[in-house]
Amino acid sequence: MRLSTAALAMVMAVTVALPFSSGALAAEHTVVLHHMELDRIEGEMRLGDVVTFDNRSDMTHNLYITYADGTVDNLDTQVPGMTRTVTLRVAGPAVIRCWIHPIIKSDLTVLDRAEAGDN
Amino acid sequence: MTESRFFILLAFAIVLTVGTAAGVVPRSPDGTTVTSSLVGPVSAAAGVHVSEELKAKYRRPETIPAPPSNPLTPEKAELGKTLFFDPRLSRTGSVSCASCHQPGFDWGDGLKRGVGVTGVPLPRKTSTVLNAAWLSALMWDGRAGTLEQQAVLPITAEHEMGLELEEAVARVKAIEGYAPLFEAAYPGEGVRAETVLGALASFQRTLVSGEAPFDKWIDGDEAAISEAAKRGFLVFNEAGRCAKCHSSWRLTDDSFHDIGLESDDIGRGQFAPPSVVIMQHAFKTPTLRDFRLSGPYMHDGSMASLDEVIDHYEDGGKKRPSLSPEMQAVTLSAQERADLIAYLKTLQGPPLDVKMPRLP
Repeated sequence: MRLSTAALAMVMAVTVALPFSSGALAAEHTVVLHHMELDRIEGEMRLGDVVTFDNRSDMTHNLYITYADGTVDNLDTQVPGMTRTVTLRVAGPAVIRCWIHPIIKSDLTVLDRAEAGDN
Repeated sequence: MTESRFFILLAFAIVLTVGTAAGVVPRSPDGTTVTSSLVGPVSAAAGVHVSEELKAKYRRPETIPAPPSNPLTPEKAELGKTLFFDPRLSRTGSVSCASCHQPGFDWGDGLKRGVGVTGVPLPRKTSTVLNAAWLSALMWDGRAGTLEQQAVLPITAEHEMGLELEEAVARVKAIEGYAPLFEAAYPGEGVRAETVLGALASFQRTLVSGEAPFDKWIDGDEAAISEAAKRGFLVFNEAGRCAKCHSSWRLTDDSFHDIGLESDDIGRGQFAPPSVVIMQHAFKTPTLRDFRLSGPYMHDGSMASLDEVIDHYEDGGKKRPSLSPEMQAVTLSAQERADLIAYLKTLQGPPLDVKMPRLP
């Protein structure tokens, strides 16, 4: 399941479905950071889904997401115990990385809701 | 380099992790068993007890990593070594990679700040290239992601080697004696930028720190380092907070932190949006393997002694928004400070047995 030899673990669990502007439901996901090991993010993520990153490691992180169009969402500094939330806003491949720890890297695909079969 | 010689070098370079065999209960010099807690009680009389769990975090790997796009071979390493020591890769023909990464200075230069073809002091201290095979971000600001990407930077930097890459390749191509080396390393590929840089990267991957007293201790030889050094190892991991960033067998987390030095250089901050405050003044954590006990220290060579470095960490650094949260002022007793320095001295391995090439 590990994507790299890095040492931080991220575990994702889909939790709650939220109303989305298109009428479909946006889901909430929680990604837990454990040290510097990165596990594959499970499940599908769709445009408009909300992702919460929960830093349960003993170190500070600063995650950011780079979308397919090159734009970036910076999640700002996250000391141990802190959560940060982002709404996925561009469909296509995206990469989650940490400014402080470049070894942390996770690829994901943000599905367009129409392509995913949502109406 | 013959194949057998390469593998001797590789064997020397590759980490020696024989260590404590499974089922062997480690004992301190006084015969007591190691405690099961992460850090056991510290007592000069009873010996220092350190758990295997903590030691395991510092155990060396068994193989040298290389990217699938450029697998490590003896032929590439031999070619790369020749290029590494060849000053014709610089504008003036007088500066090679080895001018700043000198074997005698643990593959650094011992200077506060490096000097290249123009004689203008470089903005930052020369980093060692030892153990570069494991780096996930290279240069003090992480602007290269692989050794292949990094190799072009000093060649083309105005004040380092000052040569356009195309010119460097042309010069190598014009030296007849290089042709068979390239053919052996990269059959049918010729002298190209990719093969020049790939060979340089390959040679650097073979530069792995020799087994230091610390490694022998990690592997179970309790007599390999002093009791003071063992206490210093605990200071390093606990009271001194050094291991917050100087972690793993290479004593670095390969990550970027503002440690509160007074400097106009914003380091990795120049590659991050201004909103990423934490990257302002952030520099890569340097390895402590084979670091020069005589200094200088820090990315700008601004500190001359280990005592000055420890003073800085006791102070906690300049307070500003970008200061790393891992930077917290610490207080060490004179004994702890002496023990910490004793430990750091155990990180010095023997010099590498690298035979100088005859340039074609």
